Amino acid sequence: MALKALDIYKLLPKKNCKECGFPTCLTFAMKLASGKADPDTCPYLDEATKHLLKGATRPPIRRVKIGVGERSFAIGEEIVLFRHDKSFVHPPGILFQVPDLQTAEEIRRVASRVKDEVFPRVGELLRVNGIAIRNDSGSPETFGKAVRVVEETAEFPEVLIAGSPASMEAALAECGNYRPLIHAATAENHGAMCALAKRSGAPLVVKARGIDALQELAATCEAAGVQDLVLDPAPETTCEFLQTATMIRRMALARTAPELGYPVYLDATVPGREEATLSLGILKYASVIVTTPREPASLLPALTLRQNIYTDPQKPIQMTPGIYRVNNPAPGDPLLLTVNFSLTYFTLLGYLESSRIPCFLLLVDTEGFSVLTAVASGKLNENLIRDSLQRFGVEAETGHRILVLPGYAAPLSGRVEEATGWKVLVGPRDAAEVPEFLEQSWKKAAPGGSPGPAPGP
Amino acid sequence: MAEPGEWTGTIGRVVLGATKGEGGTRSVQYCIGGSRDLPFLPDEAPCGRRPLIALEICDDPALWPAVVKEYIGALADDPAAWAREAERTFGADLVRLHLTSTHRRQAPDLDTVGKTVEAVLAATTLPLIIEGSGDPALDSEVFRRCGEAGAGERLLLGTAEADRYRSIAAAALAYGHAVIAQSPIDINLAKQMNILLREIGVPADRIVIDPYTGALGYGFEYSYSVMERIRYAALMGDTDLAMPVLSAAPDSLTVKEVRDAPPAERQERALSWEFHAAFPAAVAGADIVCVRHPLSVKRLRDACAALTPGGKGTPVQGGG
Ligand code: B12
Ligand code: SF4
Repeated sequence: MALKALDIYKLLPKKNCKECGFPTCLTFAMKLASGKADPDTCPYLDEATKHLLKGATRPPIRRVKIGVGERSFAIGEEIVLFRHDKSFVHPPGILFQVPDLQTAEEIRRVASRVKDEVFPRVGELLRVNGIAIRNDSGSPETFGKAVRVVEETAEFPEVLIAGSPASMEAALAECGNYRPLIHAATAENHGAMCALAKRSGAPLVVKARGIDALQELAATCEAAGVQDLVLDPAPETTCEFLQTATMIRRMALARTAPELGYPVYLDATVPGREEATLSLGILKYASVIVTTPREPASLLPALTLRQNIYTDPQKPIQMTPGIYRVNNPAPGDPLLLTVNFSLTYFTLLGYLESSRIPCFLLLVDTEGFSVLTAVASGKLNENLIRDSLQRFGVEAETGHRILVLPGYAAPLSGRVEEATGWKVLVGPRDAAEVPEFLEQSWKKAAPGGSPGPAPGP
Repeated sequence: MAEPGEWTGTIGRVVLGATKGEGGTRSVQYCIGGSRDLPFLPDEAPCGRRPLIALEICDDPALWPAVVKEYIGALADDPAAWAREAERTFGADLVRLHLTSTHRRQAPDLDTVGKTVEAVLAATTLPLIIEGSGDPALDSEVFRRCGEAGAGERLLLGTAEADRYRSIAAAALAYGHAVIAQSPIDINLAKQMNILLREIGVPADRIVIDPYTGALGYGFEYSYSVMERIRYAALMGDTDLAMPVLSAAPDSLTVKEVRDAPPAERQERALSWEFHAAFPAAVAGADIVCVRHPLSVKRLRDACAALTPGGKGTPVQGGG
């Protein structure tokens, strides 16, 4: 069970000697309680107390890093069952699976996709995290070769899937230093797999069906000295995954079973159910998800779901308020007002960029609320607009005093004109119609301005 | 965090559709709700539970998603035929008719609206959801006509919102229907809406909560969480939130990612975009999930079946 700061304090020597780096034993206790200090730093604790404190103060779900370098990713460290309770922390890694029986060419093709395919969305780059190579051949040599092909293509995280320690050893010989995820230690092979994991320093998946078996095997691997574990509850159905993963998350957070305090692995390559399983894994507690190489048409929605579920519910993805210049505008070019919600900005930007119309965008600080939400809540109002025009020195940039409001902010137009003294034009509601609107209405409204597509680059 | 078995609340039940025995003409009656745990956990419902899938159709497709119109062709101009296919070919559990003809600028022909409802009722034997005008000035007349046309059929009428719920409630009470109570992604507003309806006499077992679902990538994360919060609050004993939930993300098929997709990819992108909000809504606890693309129905049904194995979880039929 988790201990409160005061319970921990009772176990400390109370010397207040500062040797742990904290001013008092109580401060140290508070840091321990929030997982921000290590019991080892107090030299006066006996082994039994240290052991007790370590169990009670480590993060409920251990952080595990997979891969090295730029594409590596961390998992674990989750602290809630529902994202609305605080936030989910590390988005699950999604990895494409390739069987080692495929030709080098086929493997290379998938690897290149993983390397190059990105979907930019609201200022983030959505992509698959790596490749899982599966030892279908059973042959260490074939497995090693397949891993080498992947290694030659690029550096990104890998999962090595093999039941035989000999195969695993051959694969690790190709990429052992790059922290691939080893899948998996089972009841049959755990001794050899633990040895391989320790030797290569790679994280290890523990695979057993059902909570009890999983807990027991994880304890065995812990005792063998492997620290970075990932749990594969080996569900037979999608439903079983939901139920087991929920139970693991609950027990880990309650610290009733420290051996379950590790991130969870999900093999979503179930024929006919992959899309549902992948979607479920994103929602319900999977930290590593292996799928077949999905086509972009259905991959992008899944990656978008992951992005949605792993944003902080208290903090929409936001832009810094200010003036943004699109297509190299000059004084006299149109000025559009919008909000600092990333989704709004990037949606609008997409249409403006492809229209090639030079213009200024004024992003006002609605704390990340969309236009309609900000209008409905009163966050977007004439005072905010007036202050923003002043604060960002807008007139000096645009050389005119004409402001285009989003269609959804139409009810504000009169009040904005009054408060700012600027002329207001109400634009369309849908960003897709903004270029056409600028071509037609701006010309009429602006003194000498004549926006139109700028000459090609 | 309560554990299974520690919850004090149960989701209330709502009955939709009336068969001959109950004074209607539907071939099936659904009883939704009744859950006693988080969605799809072992103790959730006495007989398992599969969310119902509603296919949305309309009587004026002018603003309906292009990908759907391309797929269904001439059906788009014939709501009755569209409803028939929803049942026979596309495999929906429910048909949700949007009376979009009432959204036009010129006053709609209300007699035609009543006839459309009758024609759709005759064309399908499934229980129906009917969406009114969305305009308070028209609502009372529109709901009176649909309520009347479907008297005895136990329709689900939509949509009551904080500033317009009286006429829909009146129609529901007069003709024995249930209502959708919508609020914009906020648990407190959802609760308030239910209280308002109860105050004017709509009983809890005639209310279905619609917490408003933003499309994937366009606010869906808020909707997902509010659905989880509603279920949680209800299980913790808040009876003002213990109603079944309906989720519909109508913008799914018109988001930028779908509109701008390469033509060869567009249909699959559209289906997948709709799926990745509809299925998570079911996981969050929605009892009715609405979709617009006919091909989404089977896709979603198979996915939900993966969560209710062993053939359990078909909706309770034939009585509450
Ligand atoms: C997600 C969401 C939320 C999230 C907030 C998300 C966010 N970061 O803003 C949450 C849950 C917090 C929320 C809260 C509220 N919401 Co809300 N929300 C939504 C939802 C589903 C999506 C909003 C969104 O992301 N839109 C996408 C962005 C890109 O749209 P946009 O910013 O408007 O930009 C578009 C256009 O405006 C245009 N555009 C943008 N800039 C410019 C500039 C120019 C010059 C031009 C010409 C065009 C242009 O281009 C964009 C693309 O076309 C909408 C419904 C909907 N479909 O819009 C309801 C909605 C906006 N919310 C609504 C309401 C009422 C509220 C609340 C007041 C309710 C409450 N709970 O109290 C609160 C207000 C916030 C608060 N509490 O202070 C109502 C508004 C009703 C109305 N018509 O006034 C809506 C429409 C839902 C509904 N039908 O009831 N909401
Ligand atoms: S080192 Fe130990 S005894 Fe000294 S202040 Fe820190 S906790 Fe207290």
